[in-house]
Amino acid sequence: MLKVKNVSKAFKDNQVLKKVDLEVEKGDVVVILGPSGSGKTTFLRCIDFLEKADGGEIEFDDIKTDLNHASAKTIEKIRKKSAFVFQNYNLFANKTALQNVTEGLTVARKVPKAEAIEIAKKALDKVGLSDKYDSYPVQLSGGQQQRVGIARAIAVNPDIILFDEPTSALDPELVGEVLKIMRELAKEGITMIVVTHEMKFAQDVATKVVFMDGGVVVEEGSPKEIFTKPKEERTREFLMRILPDFDYTI
Amino acid sequence: MKLNTEFMRETFIASLGGVPKTFLITILTLLVSIPIAFSMALSKLENKNVSSKIVTGYVSLIRGTPIVLQILFIYSLLPSTLNYLIKDVFGLSYNIFKMNKIVYAIIVFSLNNIAVLTELFRSALGTVGHGQMEAAMTVGLSKRQAYARIIIPQALVAALPNLCNTVIGLIKNTSLAFLMAVQEITAISKMKAASGYYYIEAYLMIALIYIIVCTVVQLLFAVIEHQLSGYKKRLAV
Ligand SMILES: Nc1ncnc2c1ncn2[C@@H]1O[C@H](COP(=O)(O)OP(=O)(O)OP(=O)(O)O)[C@@H](O)[C@H]1O
Ligand SMILES: [Mg+2]
Repeated sequence: MLKVKNVSKAFKDNQVLKKVDLEVEKGDVVVILGPSGSGKTTFLRCIDFLEKADGGEIEFDDIKTDLNHASAKTIEKIRKKSAFVFQNYNLFANKTALQNVTEGLTVARKVPKAEAIEIAKKALDKVGLSDKYDSYPVQLSGGQQQRVGIARAIAVNPDIILFDEPTSALDPELVGEVLKIMRELAKEGITMIVVTHEMKFAQDVATKVVFMDGGVVVEEGSPKEIFTKPKEERTREFLMRILPDFDYTI
Repeated sequence: MKLNTEFMRETFIASLGGVPKTFLITILTLLVSIPIAFSMALSKLENKNVSSKIVTGYVSLIRGTPIVLQILFIYSLLPSTLNYLIKDVFGLSYNIFKMNKIVYAIIVFSLNNIAVLTELFRSALGTVGHGQMEAAMTVGLSKRQAYARIIIPQALVAALPNLCNTVIGLIKNTSLAFLMAVQEITAISKMKAASGYYYIEAYLMIALIYIIVCTVVQLLFAVIEHQLSGYKKRLAV
């Protein structure tokens, strides 16, 4: 369904992505792991054109384009088929929770207002915020804000949702409520790419785990393969650092 | 020292007649400079090319020179330049020296205000995190829609306190329009004062009128800010 190939990106002379490939099938939950600075965020941002890649191609259903020379039309098409959940939520501060969700419907997709409100309410109900329709982002906790972020993403009925460390800005006691919703979305078969450090989530939910380091995909496979018998030394080292009780069989 | 209260009363009433002119200059200046300054601030943020360099140069030029000097410059240069353009270049017969002096005042104050407001709007736009622009893009909004619906409304609210200061500064600066022979508050009182040498009385009345006008403007801004910034309040609305 989504194929990205040879994605390269440098900031000045810092080569952040070195020909990264990724394939996602419908219904996949792809979890991207990797140490800080390995280029996970940059990769995700390149897919949604928040960052302009220096090179690489994307094939998204019937849309096919060069990442560096994509036309504004193509970018718009890809953005309308996808959604993005940010580490720091990025809710529209001047809009209520409900308006945050309707914005992409009424303005970008020309959905009639009444219908958009229906859809938005359903999305907010789904993330457990039925009582917060009219709250502004400042009036919500981090976990609630991120759930609005997720509602905003699912409301547009995207073919894929990109999550960039959706829980890492949250207080530990709020992480669970967000992960729970993401698990539900996975169960419904929503396709997602998730950058996260939540190993339990990766082990339980991922259909595919990708380990990135130094701007390349070091290794990818099923959670079982990656977490129990990683092939690459770098993967092992990373897992040992991040999972204290990690032991693998060679 | 004994103040001539009768003269003060008369001067106060006479000078009030200048208030509409002060407001007229202020409002027309704002109407001219706000949209221009806003688009200059946007162009400075959006493209780091030649146009933003020109904007930067212009802002430094205006901010680096006293407004009195700008008034003197423009007031000596503009009429004869316009006259030359109208008569010799376009061959028209309009007598530019008969044009209402207010027009010059508005031109000078606009040129000045555009520079001040460009910086003001640029920093206000900067207070709205870039993340919201990105989020708007990812839900499918165009850049224009994102600016219009998400970024600019917040930037305006962020700009209000400084905008209030700028408007008050502008109102006070309009007193300099007397240099261009515009009959506003200051010019009227000064003339009254000169007729009887009651300068202190006249100056007190000028001060009083400006204090009243500026206080009203401040209150107005406070009301507007309260109305528009509901989304910033933590308590439930
Ligand atoms: N806008 C930018 N300008 C310059 N350098 C950048 C920019 N964004 C990212 N980088 C650099 O690119 C590299 C990869 O960053 P990226 O954010 O993609 O890493 P990451 O894998 O998401 O890390 P983390 O786990 O800490 O979020 C880092 O060295 C970072 O400093
Ligand atoms: Mg990151």
